[in-house]
Amino acid sequence: MKVISSIEITPEIIGNLSEYYRRNIGDYPKFFKMDGLCKTGFIASEILLQSLPADIKSDIAIVLFNRSGSLVTDRKYQQTITSEENYFPSPAIFVYTLANIVTGEIAIRHKIMGESSFYIMSENDTGLQNDIAMECYLTSNPSMVLTGWVEYENDEDFYAHLRLLSK
Amino acid sequence: MINIIGHNIISPLGLTSEENYQSVIRGRSALHLYDDKFGLHEAFCGSLINRGFIYEKASESGIDDDYSLFEKLAILSASGAIKDSGINPSDPNTIFILSTTKGNVDLLEENMHDERCYLHTSALRIADYFGNKANPIVVSNACISGVCAQIEGVRQLLSGLYSTAIIIGCDILSKFIISGFQSFKALSTKPCKPYDKDRTGLNLGEAAGTIILRKENSPASDWHYVASSIHNDANHISGPSRTGEGAFRVLQDIVRQIDKSELAFLNAHGTATAYNDEMESIAIGRADLSDIPLSGLKGYYGHTLGAAGIIETILSIMAIDEGIIIATRGYDKSGTSGKLYLSNQTRHTDKRSFIKILSGFGGSNAGICYEKGGRR
Amino acid sequence: METLIETLKNQIIDVLNLEDLKPEDIDAEAPLFGEGLGLDSIDALELIVLMEREYGIKLSNPAEGKEIFKSVASVADYVSKNRKK
Repeated sequence: MKVISSIEITPEIIGNLSEYYRRNIGDYPKFFKMDGLCKTGFIASEILLQSLPADIKSDIAIVLFNRSGSLVTDRKYQQTITSEENYFPSPAIFVYTLANIVTGEIAIRHKIMGESSFYIMSENDTGLQNDIAMECYLTSNPSMVLTGWVEYENDEDFYAHLRLLSK
Repeated sequence: MINIIGHNIISPLGLTSEENYQSVIRGRSALHLYDDKFGLHEAFCGSLINRGFIYEKASESGIDDDYSLFEKLAILSASGAIKDSGINPSDPNTIFILSTTKGNVDLLEENMHDERCYLHTSALRIADYFGNKANPIVVSNACISGVCAQIEGVRQLLSGLYSTAIIIGCDILSKFIISGFQSFKALSTKPCKPYDKDRTGLNLGEAAGTIILRKENSPASDWHYVASSIHNDANHISGPSRTGEGAFRVLQDIVRQIDKSELAFLNAHGTATAYNDEMESIAIGRADLSDIPLSGLKGYYGHTLGAAGIIETILSIMAIDEGIIIATRGYDKSGTSGKLYLSNQTRHTDKRSFIKILSGFGGSNAGICYEKGGRR
Repeated sequence: METLIETLKNQIIDVLNLEDLKPEDIDAEAPLFGEGLGLDSIDALELIVLMEREYGIKLSNPAEGKEIFKSVASVADYVSKNRKK
């Protein structure tokens, strides 16, 4: 296994997600529609994938992990259906109550048509994540694997540690 | 070889794979209209498990009351499959893999911070019930989770880390899930009509299914894994690709690795939404599989989310064992631009393999192929 | 009508998270979907929720929305004729 590149982002390292986006990316207004988990994964993957050629990108496998799944957005959606008088289920929130949407957002942004998978584990164990990610090669042949941990609690508490791996 | 050595389905149609299979081939559907359920503001058509019955079965089996409905269902299903296979679930070479889209999300209604809403916590509780100490893996890939979890199981065994994988797919319905699909205007208030000209949307269902895979050196006398694939459309987070790109790539990958002349049928997703079924017809055409019999099972259960990939795989296996292709209930008149070889009647087959495919939110698509008997 | 158009612009920016847009950036006659603001199918569903929550207008079929959601002006026109609150 080769680690081609890796990136860690936290509020201390990059500051506010939206401000980082405005300063360094700026060409993808759909960013503002994403939930916090997707914004965190999007920014981290952007840093790793920006300079890769399109033909390599199209065959990358995306294999991401976290502990809380989409629980932050689940709670937000629950609030749209809790009150009887104020019952307005929001489709734009509901769609983000699936943790794997972050893999889809990255795939759409970079035209990645390889595997996309999301796993939920209690511990951020880099070795275990790399093992599961590299298992992709047992049944398929991606150009590289984008893997790692992505977690978002709020704008002051998010963390992503993503890595690009190859055989 | 990766062999299937046991399975189980728990749904409103039965507590074992056999009961479910017998109901399905008799054309029984679990779909009903519910107009006053879960505090929803609109009626929905779906299939719901009798909760009282599950609590009773759980209590008979000595499952602690602390386990949630979701966990009880998952445990009951895994117990059924374990009994069927005769394995020891606490063996250190055995791993649990859980496929679910929303797990215990219904518990948020009572407590926004219920620890059991963390899916891996829930998986640990389930593995713990069986005395299994290996770190379970939770696959949460929306609608395609059930196939992805089987693929993960295959990989765990191929890697040599474990020799047996107990793969559970389970989801229950709640105000949360149904209101979300209603806000997407994706649900039909009538029993769904997969691939039909007059289809009006999907139904949701509740089920748990378990498949046990084991790595064995001797040539398999029964069912074994042949090929699999996962691809993203890279198109839209909720809308299926108009070109069926991801599903096409999945089918293309699998067809490349199998003997197409042994393919009995393709068991597809067939949710009965306008866009999903149309997308699948395009992908199937592009993969040159329009002349292979197609079968869709949502007319019996609706879409059972994390369980769908597992229970639809099990029913496909049982159908080939009996030499049949299950009728696509609800289908009547052709309603897709791509040609599909469908029937709402039972058909016969003497072939021995099938492909199961799924597509879902996040632009994801997955497929797996199993074959009966050793390779010729 | 001018006030309603202004209100709608603000509500649309808010519910669809069109973060970097200001009401004056939206041409009331310009198409909302496709070219125009580049809105998609989820935005259309969210506009259906907006109609119900703010104006008591229930659209059960997304196809109905197609005509209504052509532009901010067409939304304003429909709202002014059909609003229940």
